[in-house]
Amino acid sequence: MAGMSDRSTTVDLLQGTLATLILKSLSWGPLHGYGIARWIEQVTEDELLVEEGSLYPALHRLQARELVSSQWTTSDTNRRVRLYTLTERGRQQLRAELSRWDRFSVAVTRALQARRPSKAV
Amino acid sequence: MSTSGRPERGIWRDTGADADDEIACHLEMHERDLIARGLPPDAARAEARRRFGSVESITRQVRSIDDQAARQQRRTGMWTDFRQDAAYALRGLRRAPGFTAVAVLTLALGIGANTAIFSVLNIALLRPLPYADGDRLVFVWNQHQGNTDNLGPGRMLDLRRQTTSFSGFAGISHLSYTLTGWGDPERIAASSVSSSFFDVLGARPLLGEPFHAGAADPAAAVLSHALWKRRFGGDRAIVGRTIVLNGRPRVVVAVMRPDFFWPSITARAGASPGPELWVPAGAGDIPRNAVDEDRDMTASRNAGYLRAVARLKPGVTPAQANAELAAVGARISSEHPEDGGRTAKLRTIREQFFGPVERPLFVLAGVVTLVLAIACANVAGLLLGRGAARRRDLALRRALGATRGRLARQLLTEATVLSFAGAAAGLVLAWWASAALAAAAPADFIGDQPLPLDARVLVFALGTSIVCGLAFGAVPALQLSRDALSGALSEGSARASGTRRAGRARDVLVAAEIALAVVLLVGSVLFVRSFLHLTRVDVGLDTRNLLTFDVTLTGDRAEYQARQVQFYEALQARLTRVPGVRAVGAAVTLPIGGDDFGTSYLPEGVPAPAAGSEPRAGYQVVTPGYFAAMGIPLKAGRDVRATDTRQAEPVVVINEQLARAAWPGQDPVGRRLRFSSDTEWARVVGVVGDIRHLGPSTEPRPEVYQPGSQRSFPFMAFVVRTETDPMAIAPSIRRAVAELDPALPLGGLRTMDQHLQRSLSKPRFLSTLVTGFGALAVALALIGIYAMMAWSVSERRQEFAIRLALGARGTAVMALVLRQALVLAAIGIAVGLVAARAAAAVIGGMLYGIQPTDPSAFMLTAAAVAAVALAACYVPARRALRVDPVGLLR
Repeated sequence: MAGMSDRSTTVDLLQGTLATLILKSLSWGPLHGYGIARWIEQVTEDELLVEEGSLYPALHRLQARELVSSQWTTSDTNRRVRLYTLTERGRQQLRAELSRWDRFSVAVTRALQARRPSKAV
Repeated sequence: MSTSGRPERGIWRDTGADADDEIACHLEMHERDLIARGLPPDAARAEARRRFGSVESITRQVRSIDDQAARQQRRTGMWTDFRQDAAYALRGLRRAPGFTAVAVLTLALGIGANTAIFSVLNIALLRPLPYADGDRLVFVWNQHQGNTDNLGPGRMLDLRRQTTSFSGFAGISHLSYTLTGWGDPERIAASSVSSSFFDVLGARPLLGEPFHAGAADPAAAVLSHALWKRRFGGDRAIVGRTIVLNGRPRVVVAVMRPDFFWPSITARAGASPGPELWVPAGAGDIPRNAVDEDRDMTASRNAGYLRAVARLKPGVTPAQANAELAAVGARISSEHPEDGGRTAKLRTIREQFFGPVERPLFVLAGVVTLVLAIACANVAGLLLGRGAARRRDLALRRALGATRGRLARQLLTEATVLSFAGAAAGLVLAWWASAALAAAAPADFIGDQPLPLDARVLVFALGTSIVCGLAFGAVPALQLSRDALSGALSEGSARASGTRRAGRARDVLVAAEIALAVVLLVGSVLFVRSFLHLTRVDVGLDTRNLLTFDVTLTGDRAEYQARQVQFYEALQARLTRVPGVRAVGAAVTLPIGGDDFGTSYLPEGVPAPAAGSEPRAGYQVVTPGYFAAMGIPLKAGRDVRATDTRQAEPVVVINEQLARAAWPGQDPVGRRLRFSSDTEWARVVGVVGDIRHLGPSTEPRPEVYQPGSQRSFPFMAFVVRTETDPMAIAPSIRRAVAELDPALPLGGLRTMDQHLQRSLSKPRFLSTLVTGFGALAVALALIGIYAMMAWSVSERRQEFAIRLALGARGTAVMALVLRQALVLAAIGIAVGLVAARAAAAVIGGMLYGIQPTDPSAFMLTAAAVAAVALAACYVPARRALRVDPVGLLR
């Protein structure tokens, strides 16, 4: 872990993005909340600012929408942990979100990289 | 990490503890990681908490999300159960089409009748009035010797000035106008009202702007929506145009909205369809004389022709305002002895409009509720019988793990499905029935408004059906689910005990149905006999072959006043010559359904009583020949004559009641009396028979008749006695009038029989409805008793077979069945008679010529119901005989 890095350059999460990140984090297999938090931290190299606690309301909302399911299990250290699994509906939702995100980011990138304003009408 | 564990979908228990656990686990793991990376334990804990955020707030959020999801899931679960049960119930009902048809039809009749009556109640008692804050409007009346009286202009002015409870006060007097131009001349019912009238009501117009307090053009006129449609074809350009009323131009300033109504109100009765035209009255915000609109009566204190409507100030209750009115009214009377000790009182607008129909409506509502109760008892019995046949099925489901609650819920769902089907069919019936009701209801019942099946009525029907479903579903649901609980799949003791319990419930239902039918039948008999009494009452005149109509003379006042007497004489003479006419007369007010004028009088030679407590009599102005034409017998002296002119001595004819009241035991002819408002004495020249001026249900009262040649009115009602069907010569009558004056419209052309029928329309309406519902109740009870007895017999077939095999005589078995029925009938009838006795007290005031406790009505009903109950049992009893003992026992 990078420790207490300078966070002035981190960006806030867009609305709804956290939910998509959670779905993505579960796409390789079940994880508990703490695991999800670590995964987000690692893959974004601390670029995204997540208050870890806010994961849980998001997770439970996803569960209410039946995009994820959860089970209590016992960890290697004999601790009860709650594991979240992507449901079939969650997988479909993730696919839809990814394709939406692709279109969105391509469009924004295109706009931001435009050289000169197009001719005024 | 093992992935085995309990699944978290399904019903989530104790979500709070789960959330706490999960978050604690997160913090712990993070802390451990941080320590592993070299942080001291304290710093690790602090950092983990900092990165997490507010534990309490997040725990709260998570819990609320979980709770909401759990609730949602429970709802979905119940809905799914309900859908399954409903689908199951529907399949079951489809398999038993006969049962379903009878049950749905029975419920449809009950719910339909209730919904139709509710739609009348809805209009009369519940619907908001078409005035701003209409519940703050009140009518103000004089209170005089226990009677409610119209106000005189001077007195109303004083009441308005000296009270503080009201924010607005308006006087109304009713008159009629002849509208000319725009097609045939027509009499239009109209009101002359204070300029503040529309402001007090807070009524908004459709077009234009009605006149306002203190700012009324005396030549303004406001049209009702109906008049605007009828006479002016709904022409939106009508505002600002001139119409001609009684020969004078008036400017239309506004057209009211279609829902605006303002019924004619009399002190005595309720509301009837109102005027179609409003004109502003004279100065001082007080209407001019209703009879003679050009005469300013402001100075008159007690010429009682005004209705007054007032608006309560915010925060003032009707009771407070009423107390103030009584006090102020009495104070004014003490300052003005000529007010005769009058006080004042108010009635809320709902009391005034709907008070007289409230009781009949609640009686009808009670009647249809009883009908519905019988329908429910019937369906409960049907379900019970059906359930008995399904006992094995239920026991099986119970054995397969269904809880008792689950079975009961399924049975209730079945009942609910049934009652929704009944409600749907009932709404169709109600839609049809309320149209029929609106057409048949007397005008003063609900006015001339349509009966909309609005949202309130629909909610009522829906609510009724749910309540019914629960009511008739509860008995079998409890009963059968308990039977199923005993869990016997085999035919054995459980079956027998279940049968016994079902039999008891069935007996209670039969007795209850009989009791309800008795209550309704007693009511029907009372209403019918009361109505028959009314139709047989001798009103004191011969109503057959009598045509009536009224004429109102208009035009320049000075000219027509001089002409009035001659005109009536000329018209009477001309009418007498029409072929088929036997006799003709005219009076200022017709008996039965016409107006009612009263006067106070003093017989000569009697010490004058205190002002205000003079004896009162009905007041009429008649032409010579009126008594003969009406068939009112002359008992002594002579009729009025054409020679009783203004120049001759004033004379009157009195009826026997007045003769008895004024000069008991003496010959009244030749004596004199005077009207309290006059100083001149009038000589009694004749005595005529008593008539029931106000209709069959009102006793004759003292009446005094003045000759039209001595006191003329601009309007008169003519009566024409004909040889044959009076309506057949109506065209010749019209022609005769037109020959004399082509611009004179005939009003209210109808026969005296029609007047009589109209005056009986309310009791007829009531007795028809109550009798109809009574018959329906008996029919339903008959069906119910038959079905339940048939079921009872079929269950005892084995027993009967044994009895017959052991040598019992057929008649003995039949007697057994009938005796059981008779016991139930006796209990039901006894309970019913007691209940009917209590119910009859409620309708006592609505009956004529019969006591609500009339023993013959009760005995007749008891006998009829007993006969019906036995008849319903006869067929099942006969069937009991036809069992084949050998076949059954084998």
